[in-house]
Amino acid sequence: MNFWITFWTILFFAAVAVFAGMSVWVTIGGWKDIRDLFRDLDREHKQDEEGGS
Amino acid sequence: MIRGVSVRPNVGRRGVMDASIAEAVRGTNFSPLDWGIVGVYLAASLLIGFLGRRYIRNMADFIGAGRAVGTRLGIATMTGTEMGLITVMYSAQKGFTGGFAAFHIALFAGLVAFLVGVTGFIVVRLRELRVLTIPEFYERRFGRRTRILGGIMLAFGGILNMGLFLKVGSMFIVGITGLSEHGWALPTVMTVLLVLVLVYTVLGGMVSVIVTDYVQFVVLSVGLLLATGMAIADLGWRPIVDVVLAEKGAAGFDPLAEGGGFGWDYVMWMAFLGLVNCALWPTAVARALAMRSVHELKRQYRWSSISFMIRHLVPYFWGICAFVFVMRHAPDLREAFFPAEEGAPALDNLYAMPIYLGRLLPAGLIGILTAAMVAAFMSTHDSYLLCWSSVIVQDVVDPLCGHRLSTPRRIFWTRTCIVLIGLYILYWGLVYHGQDDIWDYMAVTGAIYFSGAFALLVGGLYVKRASSAGAVMALCAGSMAVLGLGPVQAMLGLEEGISGAKVGLMTIASTTLAMFLGSVLFPDPPQTQTPMKGAPTS
Repeated sequence: MNFWITFWTILFFAAVAVFAGMSVWVTIGGWKDIRDLFRDLDREHKQDEEGGS
Repeated sequence: MIRGVSVRPNVGRRGVMDASIAEAVRGTNFSPLDWGIVGVYLAASLLIGFLGRRYIRNMADFIGAGRAVGTRLGIATMTGTEMGLITVMYSAQKGFTGGFAAFHIALFAGLVAFLVGVTGFIVVRLRELRVLTIPEFYERRFGRRTRILGGIMLAFGGILNMGLFLKVGSMFIVGITGLSEHGWALPTVMTVLLVLVLVYTVLGGMVSVIVTDYVQFVVLSVGLLLATGMAIADLGWRPIVDVVLAEKGAAGFDPLAEGGGFGWDYVMWMAFLGLVNCALWPTAVARALAMRSVHELKRQYRWSSISFMIRHLVPYFWGICAFVFVMRHAPDLREAFFPAEEGAPALDNLYAMPIYLGRLLPAGLIGILTAAMVAAFMSTHDSYLLCWSSVIVQDVVDPLCGHRLSTPRRIFWTRTCIVLIGLYILYWGLVYHGQDDIWDYMAVTGAIYFSGAFALLVGGLYVKRASSAGAVMALCAGSMAVLGLGPVQAMLGLEEGISGAKVGLMTIASTTLAMFLGSVLFPDPPQTQTPMKGAPTS
């Protein structure tokens, strides 16, 4: 029984700690990705318009 | 030892909140400040929908965000989509009934997603083909009839699968905010939330969905971490473990222990569902197909494996905390959930987690958590609505029209389908008072699609001799998943009943066998084999 208690305890705290760190990374980096997404879509649409005109 | 607790709630019983539960819910700390926090969040989501509209020019933009999503945003949107409020509710219930042993489901979910991220199993090949939906792959590999049949089964199973999401999610919100379920509250909450989701999904498509998913990820992360920290501070880790050990014994920790609610067949089924959730379920695959590159896709999966684990692990833990709270700190709730009198009706344990959190969290924080749960609710709904409607248009209507639908017509019909599916789930949530078991209902409706999809994707992507006859046979074999439904078993006279896990595993075996036999007995003529090349689609 002690094995399972130790195993689940380590798994839980390790996963929560990694998730906390990942949340910070994704929050900061995700904002940058959103700006890149809008920039890429704008550029693609401009190219389409220029190609079509 | 606590035994005999229903793992699978009954829709009919849950639909009517008992007077004592209504009393317990009224003990929530939810305040006007919390309403303000939730209101600001909802207004922000709506605004994003309007802003996202200007970026929609074609179908790839509308359902694939122009395939221009970066890794971090991909992780956020994957997490936002897959961590739905319904998942939180049922996972909490599983923790309440199964204790720490339920953690094995989270472990498999994370492990399998990580392995998919390392190997690229299924998703990388799909991304390389530049398809927008899974049935689109069916057509390229197996022909148009397979795409149409696969699209119909996917949409049918998927829409049925989400039929009760709106009601269950609204029940959580009504419960944690302290609104009475009786009268106007539940239908009003359902309607308001649905309208908000429909507006920003219809207007902005995948661009809006992804950006709101990002906001939802941020709110969700804060809410999850704060509530988890407060629960540990409130009850203490060691006392939590001790209470579970005292009440549930070895079955509260060991998923293979005798007398527990799991066992080998359940564990194997959960391992397979780990693969389904990240590599077969269309909403997750849609995130993979929207990624900027294969490299970023694999990175997205490796990091999202943490989210796939956390989305189960944290709600399980909340359910365990609710169990400990009920057993040791709330005698009124203990009597309500586990009545001492033989045969007395027990209250639905689905309410245990929201009641516990409503009492644990202070004003302000409970608003953040509710906004997080509203986020989970909305991010799942928007993605599912977009996914099923795009499947109907791209994979059923357009092929039936000989691929002659123009882009504006496709977007128009996709938007129309979004609204129609939204109306269906509102209707279903308001009028449905059946006695089905929701957990089985969801697993069965999902399996109608994914058991066949597993055979088609693995066969189509990795086995050269897989034939279109085998594909059709495998899709049809997937429909045997309905045998997992209680009423169907009763109709067939299966008095003892077969567990959903056994039926699920048998269905997977059947679809694989059907694909194998169909391919061996009815191979495709060499001249009809279509080479699959990555080609942009409209």
